[in-house]
Amino acid sequence: MSPIGKVAEVFDAIQKAKEGASGFVTNFFPVQQKLQGWVDHGELFAELRDGSAFFWRKDRDFWHLYFCAASLASLKRAVPGLHSLKTEPVMIDLVGNEAALGDLLALWESEGFRHYTHLQRMARASQSGPHRSDANGTQVVDAGKMDAPAISDLLGRSFDRYAEQLPMLYEIESAIESRQILVVKCEGMLGGLLFFETHGFTSTVRYWLVAEGFRASHLGSALMRHYFAAQSVIRRFVLWVIADNADAVQKYQHYGFLPDGLVDYVLANEKIRP
Amino acid sequence: MKSVVEILKEIRPEFDFTTSDDFIGDGMLDSYDMVTLVATLDKTYGISISGVEIVPENFKNLKAIETLLGKYGVRS
Repeated sequence: MSPIGKVAEVFDAIQKAKEGASGFVTNFFPVQQKLQGWVDHGELFAELRDGSAFFWRKDRDFWHLYFCAASLASLKRAVPGLHSLKTEPVMIDLVGNEAALGDLLALWESEGFRHYTHLQRMARASQSGPHRSDANGTQVVDAGKMDAPAISDLLGRSFDRYAEQLPMLYEIESAIESRQILVVKCEGMLGGLLFFETHGFTSTVRYWLVAEGFRASHLGSALMRHYFAAQSVIRRFVLWVIADNADAVQKYQHYGFLPDGLVDYVLANEKIRP
Repeated sequence: MKSVVEILKEIRPEFDFTTSDDFIGDGMLDSYDMVTLVATLDKTYGISISGVEIVPENFKNLKAIETLLGKYGVRS
């Protein structure tokens, strides 16, 4: 694999993999801004093999692997040549409608990957009428630059780094600058946060959590209501949640989110310890 | 046969696709939706959109999608 120095190299490699194809098999859905961040921080590497393009992204102590191939057959031919699969800890996300993922799952399982977990996407259409920012006396504010390390620490303690695409510190700092992290502080400590990304008329809830010790204080509710009220022009809210986290799913359902049919199967190779 | 607007409406019923010139920039379609859209266009119009054509610019607005379909002989 070789390091990627420019975002354009990514798109060139993808186009090469697509050449002559009537279809396209991929798990790579990059957003320009995110790609730029990965490239700027030296996290992204490419490997072209047998006409397929593979992208390796370094994340803390493991790798995310993305692929772009003209067909399942060409992907099948190329994967055995990826020698790093035998030596490095690697995670793969397979995203799509459940019925369409069977062949891809079988391919990666035959290469030694195991099911790690799966996420489902939930969506909520904006509800008409004014949103009530019922903060119940709780003060919800935009996170400040100084909050970044505490946010990073809280996310790291609360979510699964292998499955939930945890942001690096620079991504948290960038989100703070864009005013996309809401927080509640209690006696100077971070009590809870809601981290979101808004793109046009769609907003994605990336992380919503209340720190241990502050639960049952309605901080989570205050954060969510504040968020909805502040995003009044948004027509569609989406999020990804671990599908068997019944408690989280139920909470999101309470706020009107429903599964929209898209799933993310997260696979791990044998170098990832359970 | 369904029109492009009807297909888009089935994928994202909450949006009015006739009022936007930039579906991607306005957050009305994301990368996953594009994959669904390509599959639906292929099936509806009996075509097979080439991999190299599956880029955001070709799905940016109604005109871009109609231009793309035109390359496959489809008049939507």
